[in-house]
Amino acid sequence: MVVCEFPECTTFGAVIRFALELEKGSVAVYEELANEPKYAGGAETFKALAAAHKKRGDLLEHTRREKLNEMILEPIQDLKREDYLIDTKVPAGADLKAAARFAGKIEETSSRFYLDSSKVAKMLLAEAARIMERLGKENQANKAKLESL
Amino acid sequence: MIRRHSGRRTDTMAILSEVKKDYGKIKNFVNGEWIDSTSSKVVDIENPSTAGSIGKVPMSTVEETKAAIDAAHDAWWSWRETPPITRARLMFRLKELLEQHFENIARIMVQEQGKTIDEARGETRRTIENVEVAAGIPSLMMGYNLEDGAAEGIDEDAVISPLGVFAAICPFNFPAMIPFWFWPYAVASGNTYIVKPSKQVPLTQNYIFKLVEEAGFPPGVVNLVNGSHEVADTLMEHPHVKGISFVGSTPVAKYVYKKSAENGKRVQAQGGAKNSLVVMPDAVIDRSVRNMLASFYGCAGQRCLAGSNLVLVGDVAEPFLKKFVEASKGIKMGYGLDESVNMGPVVSGDAKKKVVGYIDKGVEEGAKLLLDGRNAKVPGYEKGYFVGPTILDGVTPDMVVAKEEIFGPVVTVLRMKNLDEAIDFIHSSRFGNAASIYTQSGKWAREFRYRTQCGNIGINVGIVAAMAYFPFAGYKDSFFGDLHGQGQDAIKFFTDRKVVITRWF
Repeated sequence: MVVCEFPECTTFGAVIRFALELEKGSVAVYEELANEPKYAGGAETFKALAAAHKKRGDLLEHTRREKLNEMILEPIQDLKREDYLIDTKVPAGADLKAAARFAGKIEETSSRFYLDSSKVAKMLLAEAARIMERLGKENQANKAKLESL
Repeated sequence: MIRRHSGRRTDTMAILSEVKKDYGKIKNFVNGEWIDSTSSKVVDIENPSTAGSIGKVPMSTVEETKAAIDAAHDAWWSWRETPPITRARLMFRLKELLEQHFENIARIMVQEQGKTIDEARGETRRTIENVEVAAGIPSLMMGYNLEDGAAEGIDEDAVISPLGVFAAICPFNFPAMIPFWFWPYAVASGNTYIVKPSKQVPLTQNYIFKLVEEAGFPPGVVNLVNGSHEVADTLMEHPHVKGISFVGSTPVAKYVYKKSAENGKRVQAQGGAKNSLVVMPDAVIDRSVRNMLASFYGCAGQRCLAGSNLVLVGDVAEPFLKKFVEASKGIKMGYGLDESVNMGPVVSGDAKKKVVGYIDKGVEEGAKLLLDGRNAKVPGYEKGYFVGPTILDGVTPDMVVAKEEIFGPVVTVLRMKNLDEAIDFIHSSRFGNAASIYTQSGKWAREFRYRTQCGNIGINVGIVAAMAYFPFAGYKDSFFGDLHGQGQDAIKFFTDRKVVITRWF
């Protein structure tokens, strides 16, 4: 099981770091599901979602490196870390439906995190807000895919 | 690393790793070689969050400094003959290396300076931006001409030419960026260079210069000499050095300006500041408060662009102050490698003593402490030089804390009747670095930017940090010289105009 390191979301960098940890957790869960023979029916979907979350991580790294400047280093006091923690331990004995529901919950939490972060980021940096909003919507689409398994 | 287990979730709160625990004794980079200083004077480099030593820096000798100047002088002519596009290519290569080492540069800065990782990443980005702008040298350095400009059949040209060896004497607050306000422009335009970093924060430049070496600048073109006033004085006195760039306190800026000018050099010397942030009655309170927190407390108040005086105009004072104090209480202090930290320590024990002394002085003068950061402690970093957010209310223009640069996370609150009074107060300062206004009124904003005699003006922006393609300005005792760092000003500082009049028989 992957260990995620979630910081308090009190700075722009910490919000991005939190997002990177969400992506890391998601990738680990999807890779585990894709490699488990009893979930063979969803393997292609899980593989594709693992790849998509990896790509999202790269986008977030790029955003942190390219967009940070002194004018936007305002403290963030509106996001509570505890509201967005995810569970990455796939429940033992879960069948494909239950495993997909479990992954869907991660997508749901992530979506909430990105959409809430987008509102905060809007005050700091329009481009970051746009990316967060896009990622949040992608999470919703991912959840819908999982529900069809 | 602190591990937290909450229910079924397993997560941890992480501190980013340090690049190294101990950097050992650093060397000078002269004529393309890493050279151990022979000086017996060696100073500890401290991590201000822990007060522990993380390396040692030599106080290089006069002879070692002269050797660097000779190397730069010897390298100059062949470098000057190198086509601008070739010089630009080295800037592109350096940019790529800086991008590859982005995170290490930022983390070393946190270790030696104490700023937060976000601040350090932001500074690294700005460092790179200066290299990117300097890479445009073939366009930036073009001269101009006029056919028949002198007379019929006689053309006149102005050619932009480099001058020789330049040097920078750098401060502790921006270990990566400030040397880059200068040297990329100087070197790209065909000069050679010597950087003297602050002895308090030499590690960042030491790391960056390994990238300068890897980028392939010819020996002697860019040099690094560590040390103190012996190095600085030698640079200011030596006849081969054509100009000096300096950033630091006003008394030293004045000294550098005078001494360098006496020795016939060009000088750009950036001094101290006492920046006022003016809040008008129509300001958007929540957004303004948030923005100001970054200005007053960012880099623990150790920016020359940091807010210092909070000037509240009219009836906005009470509601604004209430929110500002509450928000200030939420500032999280700690070691900057914890990404959730909003504010790190000040740079040294002496700096802390000085800041605390100013807070004491403010209380003694009759100001009221709304928030007292003098006894701030961060669990796990008890020896660190932390000063918490501090707010002194009831400050009047005649008080020392309203006039002098504190260089710490201390907010001095003044109340004014109207914009005229606020601008008069700003003009009463001997400094003229930056000032900001928070308002929704275009009329007030326009009046403020038009009338205020400061080099950097913010409209709903609390840190007026000029981008690489604009000059970092400054008036009055905040700047001595005429051409600033960065952008076109830098190109002009490092070059001269040579006029050529041509007639063919």
